[in-house]
Amino acid sequence: MELIQAIFALYRERGGWFLGLLWDHFLLSGQAILLSGSIGLLLGIFIAQRPRLAPAVMGVCNVLYTIPAISLLGILIPFTGIGNKTAVIALTIYGVMPMVRNTYVGLTTLDPDILEAAAGMGSTAMQTLLRVKLPMAAGVILAGVRNMVVMTVSVAGIASFVGAGGLGVSIYRGITIYDPAMTAAGSILIASLAVLLDFILGRVEKHFKKYGS
Amino acid sequence: MAEPVIQFDRVCKSFDGHPVLRDFSLDLERGEFLTVIGRSGCGKTTALRLVNGLIAADSGRVLVKGRDVAQTDPVALRRGIGYTIQNVGLFPHMTVEKNIAYVPSLSKSPLWKGEERSRRAAELLQTVGLEPGLAGRYPRELSGGQRQRVGIARALAAQPDVLLMDEPFGAVDEITRRQLQDELLRLHQERGITILFVTHDIEEALKLGTRVLVMEEGRPTQFGPPSALLSNPATPFVAQLVRRSRDFAPRQ
Repeated sequence: MELIQAIFALYRERGGWFLGLLWDHFLLSGQAILLSGSIGLLLGIFIAQRPRLAPAVMGVCNVLYTIPAISLLGILIPFTGIGNKTAVIALTIYGVMPMVRNTYVGLTTLDPDILEAAAGMGSTAMQTLLRVKLPMAAGVILAGVRNMVVMTVSVAGIASFVGAGGLGVSIYRGITIYDPAMTAAGSILIASLAVLLDFILGRVEKHFKKYGS
Repeated sequence: MAEPVIQFDRVCKSFDGHPVLRDFSLDLERGEFLTVIGRSGCGKTTALRLVNGLIAADSGRVLVKGRDVAQTDPVALRRGIGYTIQNVGLFPHMTVEKNIAYVPSLSKSPLWKGEERSRRAAELLQTVGLEPGLAGRYPRELSGGQRQRVGIARALAAQPDVLLMDEPFGAVDEITRRQLQDELLRLHQERGITILFVTHDIEEALKLGTRVLVMEEGRPTQFGPPSALLSNPATPFVAQLVRRSRDFAPRQ
């Protein structure tokens, strides 16, 4: 009970500071989301067109995905220094895996009859991809986006260990000055942001699933 | 004599070393309705897919309107040939109207813009015996027979003079199939298109074809008008085929 009161007290007293951190967090994860979203989508499309490369690419993505987040940040410091840049790179590397996987699966599990019809009617490879394959795979791809967004928003919480901004700052400060309320206050905001984005994307996904299959 | 619309010239095709078509030759005149019948794996679908270049011949040539398919841009070739398959392959994310307008939209046909598109799609829906009101529906909201009809409308949209149909009525019930066959006969008479129709149903083959081709193990065994098959079966297999179509054998 005391903890909850302390958290609300913090929000009242330092509302502006938390709002700033929330905004930083949003920007930081937003950059990584855009990057891993586009890299993962393109890579997924690429390996779906060249299935022979798929196991190798998926293997590399899986290995990168299993490196603990904090260790990946540490490994990157000698190369990219400390600050937002390193955090964005690490988050992007994480987010690529679910995007590649879902794009690849979405594009390679389509009804072969429909693809036969698309080819037989004289679609070019690009027309088949843009007009038939991607719209039909949109539901599965969006599930990957959703997964990636939630993960990126929450993992961004530890980015402050390499000097990046965002709500991780309040978590880290809470730990160093032994103020659990401050750590919890940051965590709650991260979770709320993740839940909100998940809800919005869930709605979009539902819309596409409805027409996708 | 007019040039054949579709011509197979000593075509061979194997899959994984297993020959599917052996030295296969055939001429198809303009306006003909050829039905191809045979057992599964006799090469009838292979023959059809060679015409629009979905597969390539190992040796020999396939000519469409005098042009070698192997030397033609497959995309341009296919846009001029209507194609329907058993499971229709309608695009689930597009309305009936968009499905029908798919081929014209690929070639950015100015005849299929805005209002014109709706008008033409409605017209085609009527041609295949459907309510124009279905234009805004999605394929999953249609019955099997309706989907087949939309599939045929889609194949006709770019006004092809050749139509390839691979067991198009294989997955619909008996009564719907008869209706679809009658519609197709009417369309063939009205439009004078050349149709290559693959089926495993001898009754269908005899009912629709101006000529029927019976295939056995990659080779044509009989090629002639339906009446010739009935009066003069060339092999025991053909005799067995046409006999089955006349007799019902009710379970005792």
